[in-house]
Formats: sequence, C-alpha cells, structure tokens
Amino acid sequence: MGEAHQDLLFQSDIKEAVRAAYAAIPSGGGDPVARRLYSDEELEEIPRGAIDWALGVGNPVRHAELRIGETVLDIGSGGGIDTIMAARRVAPSGRAIGLDMLDEMRDRARANAAQSGVSGWTEFVAGEMESIPLVDEAVDVVISNGVLNLSARKSRALAEIHRVLRPGGRLCLADLVVDDELPPEILTSDSAWAG
Amino acid sequence: MAERVFARKLEKVGFADLSVGHHVAFGIEHASLFPLFTPELLALMHRLIPPDRQGCVATSVIVKARKPR
Repeated sequence: MGEAHQDLLFQSDIKEAVRAAYAAIPSGGGDPVARRLYSDEELEEIPRGAIDWALGVGNPVRHAELRIGETVLDIGSGGGIDTIMAARRVAPSGRAIGLDMLDEMRDRARANAAQSGVSGWTEFVAGEMESIPLVDEAVDVVISNGVLNLSARKSRALAEIHRVLRPGGRLCLADLVVDDELPPEILTSDSAWAG
Repeated sequence: MAERVFARKLEKVGFADLSVGHHVAFGIEHASLFPLFTPELLALMHRLIPPDRQGCVATSVIVKARKPR
C-alpha cells in the first residue's frame, strides 16, 4: 500500500473514531461543559436539550459580532447550542445553518431549534467540514466550536470555509491548540482525536 | 495543532486580519468534563503527563479571520 493510501486509511480511521465517540455520548453529558462556557443569561435562551449536548471548547458567538440580516454557518453544529444563539442574533432577516455529519445530532438540533422558536430561519444540513455542501460565497460568517481539531484534513476544511464565505466574510472559531509535545501514547489515542 | 501552525494554515488558504485571543488553559480536569475523554485516556494522561503540566495540556482560543474583498 502506498503512502497516500495509508494516509487516506488513517483519515478514515480518525473519522470513524470521531463518529463512534459522538454517537455513544449519553444524553446530558454536555451540561458541565455549557456551565463553564456560557453565562446564565446566555443559557436562559437555550433549551435544555441543546445544553445537554454542548461539547465545545469556547463561546464563538460571543466574539463573532453577528449582525441582523447576516447568514451564519456553524461547522459541526452538534445539538445546536451555538447555531440557536447565532440564529437569535441575526433574526429576523438573517439565516443560520448548522452543518453536522451525524443524523442523530441534526435531528436533536432541529428539535432544539423548534423549541427555541428559531426554526423559520434555521436549517441543519448533512455534510462534513472537508466538503461543505454549499455554493461558493454563500455565507457572511462561519463559526465553529471545538470541531476543527477533529479533522484529519484541517487545511482542506479551512479551504472549504474560505470558499463558502463571501468576500469580506468572517471566520470566528473556538478551538484547542497544543504548543508542547504530548506523549505519543496520548496523541495516538482514538479518544484524544475525538476529544 | 500548534497555534503558529493554525495561523499559517489560515494564511495559506487566503484568510487575512488573523487574530488569536482569549487564551484559556485546558487541563486534564477540564478534559474530564467531556464525555469523549474516556476514563482510560484520562488515566493515561494523569500517568504520562508531568504533574506540573496537567493543568494545561492544551489551550482553548478564539480564532478570528476575514476573507479579503
């Protein structure tokens, strides 16, 4: 097997590990994460179901400077907490789009958006960040929360984000960076990739 | 991914006005809040990472950038 094929296999393994880890999460696991990242006021406007699935590492909506009328794409929208927050800030003439590769997450996010009253201008689409199913220059702002680090092809994902942003459009994402080397036993763990 | 690598990748695909801020230490204690970090991985991290680094195994950041007009 050539190096390119081995690399593709590695990427496939990582994607499957991420998919399996997220599919196996028990409901309610995100509550302590949400309490750490969002204020009480912010959580008051979010339904319980979205808080229970909050698995981000920051609060990108707080820093995205969203304006009424903008179209926002949330990469890896999960249970929908950031998509719903973004939808409230761009209403009533804007639009929020959540992208997630897991059917069960999109179903949860749709239910949470409906409970929040933002369904009229919010949609959740199936897809992966390395191949975003939107036309060029479709959105004003891209947000993401702890998702880019899950990709085995980060440059590809960033190029896709760049493609779907209109000229002058903004990216605002929360993620983890690591400046010191971690032990290889940790770096090669499926759970470390998924987390 | 290191912060400087992240920044370089963003610039390489064409983003401008890049800023990385709101640095917050992310330690093993924080990782334990996430259901995706298994007990086995957390135990491994406690065993292999020196105690003085366990409070900051990574850093959460807010990355902002703009697509040029």
